[in-house]
Amino acid sequence: MNEDELLRAVGRLPRSIEPPRDLWPGIEPRLQRRRHWYWIPLAVAAVLALVVIARSIQTQPAWDVTMLAGRPLLGNTRLAASGRLRVGDWLQTDDSSRALIAIGHIGQVEVKPGTRLQLVAARRDDHRLALARGGIDATVDAMPRLFFVDTPAGTAIDLGCAYTLETDSLGNGRLHVTRGEVEFETGPRSSRVLLGAIIQTRPAIGPGIPYVEDAPAPLARALVAFDFENGGARAARTILALARAQDAMSLWHLLQRVDPTLRAMVYDRLAALVPPPAGVTRSRAIALDSRALEGYWTKIHNIQFRRIVLRGVREIDPRTGTTRRHE
Amino acid sequence: MAPPDDLVARAQAGDQTAFRDLYRQHVGRVYALCLRLTGNSGDAEERTQDVFVRLWDKLRTFRGESAFSSWLHRLVVNVVLNERRTTGRRERRVALAEDPDSIVGAQHAAPLHQSAGLSIDLERAIAELPEGAREVFVLFDIEGYAHAEIAELVGIAEGTSKAQLFRARQLLREKLAG
Repeated sequence: MNEDELLRAVGRLPRSIEPPRDLWPGIEPRLQRRRHWYWIPLAVAAVLALVVIARSIQTQPAWDVTMLAGRPLLGNTRLAASGRLRVGDWLQTDDSSRALIAIGHIGQVEVKPGTRLQLVAARRDDHRLALARGGIDATVDAMPRLFFVDTPAGTAIDLGCAYTLETDSLGNGRLHVTRGEVEFETGPRSSRVLLGAIIQTRPAIGPGIPYVEDAPAPLARALVAFDFENGGARAARTILALARAQDAMSLWHLLQRVDPTLRAMVYDRLAALVPPPAGVTRSRAIALDSRALEGYWTKIHNIQFRRIVLRGVREIDPRTGTTRRHE
Repeated sequence: MAPPDDLVARAQAGDQTAFRDLYRQHVGRVYALCLRLTGNSGDAEERTQDVFVRLWDKLRTFRGESAFSSWLHRLVVNVVLNERRTTGRRERRVALAEDPDSIVGAQHAAPLHQSAGLSIDLERAIAELPEGAREVFVLFDIEGYAHAEIAELVGIAEGTSKAQLFRARQLLREKLAG
């Protein structure tokens, strides 16, 4: 037989050969059995999943809430004495109710009357509330940037501090720092607020320039005009005219927000009120060199800190931060 | 009986009656391939059953991108070759040669016409081929696989597949000539 004959013979082989007996009886029970085995791990997995879900619900991060006055609303439930605020839950106080929230283990928030807020995150590296309206007094004793409060005008970032934050129904807000420092930011715009200072905030604009709590009212108004009312150069000149050494924090922010053509004028006024520290030059500050700005900020921060902390104890020179000597 | 596509769809949905009909439709082709690849009717029955049990599990993954028969064909080859790899039943071929009744198709071959005798002899000769040569011969000359596919399926080099085919054809010509 040659190869062609072989291949022709191969071509005639039947494509189908019936087995000598019916093989189905040996297949069917294995299908049944396999089906059972198929479901057992699935059932086990389902039970395990339920256990995990149940445990995750039980261990889901939640913050303790204590009623201070009235009957705050936690979710859909009136808070009788205390409860747990879970991520996603809303807490609401009416005109006569107040509550105290424990911020995990790092601080607390007193919720003022007429407030609506939500717990957004309760992780070790992100303790976050959203303040829709109303006011809170926050006290945090932790590393900076662990506690955040989102508002319609931006986010208050704790830098180790205590503060009061308020937001009205239009989203306009006010932040008053009573200890430490808070950063308030909206996108690229941010303000650094030292203890004893205040900022106004507006939705879609963000934080205004901070001013010290004892700033003259005309200065505060000029800052609002500059930040939120398109006050421009005119408002800037008013600010410079009204500013005192105590208002160096405001001028430091103004330097970075005015039209570049006005920066030299702002710098000169700031330098006249609070002389720059060593290493900070006029040209670098006007160029908004970050190291120069940080150096200046450190000096302003230290002066403001001493001025507020030692208030009533010693008279601090707002130009230098040293004790003022009376001759 | 329902159209094949409908049977496949129903079986995919877990309808065991439809699956039994699929079995009836395809068992002949499956068994023939198993028989030729294993060279032993006992092994072929076992592999045929394995194939349909495996098919029941795998049926959900059939997306209709190829003909069902082609997809099943590939499954048969994989099941048989995997079984051979895991159990290494090389001794079976010796037993097969000593037990002519277990050899291919003696009792199932085509209707008795003039070529029937040759077919039976050819089936028997194929079954008596060395395992490697038989697998390549069945896949290439009977089932129409390319050497590259065979190399991938069997886990050998393409050149080895060609060499095994040459060897198989030569052995068959010698057997059938004798």
